[in-house]
Amino acid sequence: TGAKTISAAGAATPGPLATARIIADINTVQYPEGVRSPHPELNQNAKEGKFRYDREFLLQFMSICKEKPAMLPPLDAIGLEPTDQHHMARGGSGR
Amino acid sequence: QEVDMQAQAEGIKTVFSDPNNFNVKHPLYSPWTLWFDSPATKGRNMPQTPISAFPQTPGPQTPNVAAAQGWMEDIKRVISFDSVEEFWGLYNNIIPPSQLPQKANYYLFKEGIIPAWEDEANKNGGKWSIQLPKDKNRGNVDKMWLFTMLAAIGETFDPSPTLTDGSGSASLITGVIVSTRPQFYRLSIWTRLAPTGADDEATLRERIEGVGKHFKMSVLGYAEGARLAGPLATEVEFLSHKDSEKKGKGKKIVV
Repeated sequence: TGAKTISAAGAATPGPLATARIIADINTVQYPEGVRSPHPELNQNAKEGKFRYDREFLLQFMSICKEKPAMLPPLDAIGLEPTDQHHMARGGSGR
Repeated sequence: QEVDMQAQAEGIKTVFSDPNNFNVKHPLYSPWTLWFDSPATKGRNMPQTPISAFPQTPGPQTPNVAAAQGWMEDIKRVISFDSVEEFWGLYNNIIPPSQLPQKANYYLFKEGIIPAWEDEANKNGGKWSIQLPKDKNRGNVDKMWLFTMLAAIGETFDPSPTLTDGSGSASLITGVIVSTRPQFYRLSIWTRLAPTGADDEATLRERIEGVGKHFKMSVLGYAEGARLAGPLATEVEFLSHKDSEKKGKGKKIVV
């Protein structure tokens, strides 16, 4: 699947995410002290850009990557709001 | 050569070394799309996701996707992403399952695959799922869903995602779902293939069971032999989509 790829990443985004390059070889990346690399056995014969990541590695990003995606639609417009406040905020006709 | 590698490594700034000025990001094995629906999305005055927006491979599967149109009508595409950094930016700006309204679903699927049985990537597949009583799991479900998503995007559910399986496709996983219902939560892992019971399918069955075991033990944190079924609760069980269509008449695999 996916002959045609429409990626949100291609859109103009403020901040470093917009211009950051894709890591080509995960095994050459040096992380600061205290940051763990992905388990090497997950990427032994990895093709370029096709990397697998273990949970412990991924969780390290949680407190750092907080920037709201530029392409994220207004959540109230798609009904994606916390339970206690999903009143129709604007112009909703609904039923 | 070694000097080149060193020089390259030194020019690389990850989000860990410079959160405001990093110049590389961690690509995911596959790009993913998050979808969402709830009673509030139904018939709501907002732009629908046009069926023409789904990336489709030309060919005989197109009618299948058209058949899914009714099913897809109220399911809203939230966003696509293809890096670890973008995943967390999304995660940190949307609400977790415990705060969703009742009868809502998050669908996280590989880009180009719609969260419907009819999609070419799903039609021969099935799903691992578990149903958890809401009362006892309100405090766990957010972590369980996060760990489910991380195993999906990290591509660790399927120990051999690059093995070809005859259809030429790679990883078994097509998507993961969390559903909120009045009395329970359900988590599901959708697979591209499902054992049909033929004798020559031992390898596929083993691979599917491997996904189920990883889900039960590493993701959900249960012991291998733990029995989970009870009031409003099920085991971690697998059912092919074709058997699901027969309303549960099919054979389940349990791990």
